[in-house]
Amino acid sequence: MSASARPLLVGAVAYHPRVVTVWEGFRRYFGDRGLGVDHVLYSNYERLVDALVDGAVDLAWNTNTAYVSADERLGGRAQILGMRDVDATYATVLVARSDDAISCAPELAGGTLALGSRDSGHAAILPLHFLAAEGVALSRVELLRFDTDMGKHGDTGDSERLVVEAVARGEARAGAVGDATWAAMRAQGLPEASRLQVVWRSPTYNHCCFTARPDFDSELGARWLELLLAMRYDDPELRHAMDLEGVRRWLRGETAGYEALRAAMREQGYLG
Amino acid sequence: MRRCDAGRLELGEGLEVLAGAVLDAAPPGEVVEMSVASRSIAHDLRTWARLAGHEVTGEAPGAEGRWLVDVRRGRERRVLAPPLPDRGEPARLRSGRFHTGDWRAGPPPDVADPAAGFVPLGAVAEAGAPAFDWPLSRRDQVWADGLDRLVEGASAAQWDASRDVPWAEAGSLPDFLEAAVCQVVTFIAQNEYAAYYVPARFLGAVSPAYAEVLLWLASHVHDEARHIEVFTKRALVNGGRAYALASAERSLHSLLLEHDFTASALLLNVLGEGSFIDLLEFVADHAPDAATAAAARLAHRDELRHVHFGIAHVRRTLERDPGASSRLVAAVEERAARLLGLTGMNPAVTDALTVMAAGSMQPAQLSEGARAVRSLMRRTAANRVARLLDAGFDQASARRMSDLHTPNLM
Repeated sequence: MSASARPLLVGAVAYHPRVVTVWEGFRRYFGDRGLGVDHVLYSNYERLVDALVDGAVDLAWNTNTAYVSADERLGGRAQILGMRDVDATYATVLVARSDDAISCAPELAGGTLALGSRDSGHAAILPLHFLAAEGVALSRVELLRFDTDMGKHGDTGDSERLVVEAVARGEARAGAVGDATWAAMRAQGLPEASRLQVVWRSPTYNHCCFTARPDFDSELGARWLELLLAMRYDDPELRHAMDLEGVRRWLRGETAGYEALRAAMREQGYLG
Repeated sequence: MRRCDAGRLELGEGLEVLAGAVLDAAPPGEVVEMSVASRSIAHDLRTWARLAGHEVTGEAPGAEGRWLVDVRRGRERRVLAPPLPDRGEPARLRSGRFHTGDWRAGPPPDVADPAAGFVPLGAVAEAGAPAFDWPLSRRDQVWADGLDRLVEGASAAQWDASRDVPWAEAGSLPDFLEAAVCQVVTFIAQNEYAAYYVPARFLGAVSPAYAEVLLWLASHVHDEARHIEVFTKRALVNGGRAYALASAERSLHSLLLEHDFTASALLLNVLGEGSFIDLLEFVADHAPDAATAAAARLAHRDELRHVHFGIAHVRRTLERDPGASSRLVAAVEERAARLLGLTGMNPAVTDALTVMAAGSMQPAQLSEGARAVRSLMRRTAANRVARLLDAGFDQASARRMSDLHTPNLM
């Protein structure tokens, strides 16, 4: 088999059955345009990062935490080959009960802060980092962690739901959740969410991205990126898969949006 | 810049509906300044906008604790279809009624996209729907002139087989007469089953573009279900029992072997139900009790519509397709070939009709009854030819098809 006939292998984590539908849709899209793409699904991001670093897959559809882990293991030279529009300006919000007097993050001192899975960049690692940077005395804050779905880096949203419920019940003064998860809970009318409000919003950061090794064929990478960026949400063949993936436009992606997370993971001992 | 005051609306409680409507109305790239009641809501609006494909370009405190959020409309369409056309002319109402014949501006399409789905009349279809495959997606396959009036008539003539028949007046017939009535109505009910299954099989095959045909077939099937109900109830009301005759089954079974819509309309609506019009009229005139007479009269009214449809559809087909006549004659011949073993109407039915018409087992009355039944059979044959001529067949074809028609009547 010639090198060009081998499909480009994309690894992803199956955090929900819809991931299969998404990748079948994308595989068809690339295939119809002459680029053979196949996918391999893993149950957790640690195994996906291993597969990328070891060369078992060409591209990994990584969370921000998985990207930083892979990049560290690849000597800081991992390539980014695309991200969703929604990944470019991600944020974490702190939510508190609407009837609570808390109005900003520093008032957390002396109280309890609920956090999502400890491997979630948006619901655990980054909020601690940003709050410390804003001068919140974390030594005086008790952490209530919900470490569910470890390995999925918060993709399922389950731990964030527990965070919101804990805050609504008064078990924590505030809770950290991804802004997208929060908006979805509000829009769906989750009763606990309707009793809470946003009291703080983090600086924005990058979330998921396609990660490649430094030695990944640049021509193949360019072709992948060209086709990825050419995906149109207005294409009826693609809309269903893009809706399920939560993307309207693909962007090139860049490394700068991951520096806060890299610093946070180093501070919190995730990078050895 | 467009401005929108969102009052105290929050995400999940209407804010997203208002913001979506305002942004939908703006061209891509235009900025809308949304005024919301708090900073917390401004945070939520920012996230909603990002997830909905828009972009927040600015955020600032406003007067009295409010927040002003600038949202730039994204370029993607929420619905994958061209913009909706402007409101058209209102529908024409007649004495306050909106008739089915007035819901289209022009005729239905000659050919409908067989892959198109459930797109109501006037609606704009969004791209990306799954592909259907309607076997009947040409107007000529299913249409009949005056269909809108038939549909209106069907809606207006609905009745209730539990309430609209004087069941209390069905009792107290002598046993021999009750037995005859039971055999007659059981035979009719058997036939009504076939009249139910034949159109029911086409219900799921017609393209939704021909909504009038869907309404028509649904009413047809519903009518037949009620006929099954009313004649079954007549047999059961006094505890009587009768035979479901195998000869009738053989005749009716052969109707289900025909898969062409037009040939089915000819065999069932024109020939079968046409013959039944005469039979039901006979039962209504000679029934010994008011319940049987009422049931026959109500069913007769429905069958007139079904026959009308069959004649109109076959006539339209013959007018447009010169080859249709020989194909339809062949369909009648093919069915007749399957029914060679049937040499006449089952004596159990003719006997029961005779006794019912006589109302007595006395020779003189029985003779009257037998004469009435013979007259019915002659009338049925003559009317069958007349209906075939009305449908557009020539004299010879009409006579041949009538002769070949099943002695079972349906």
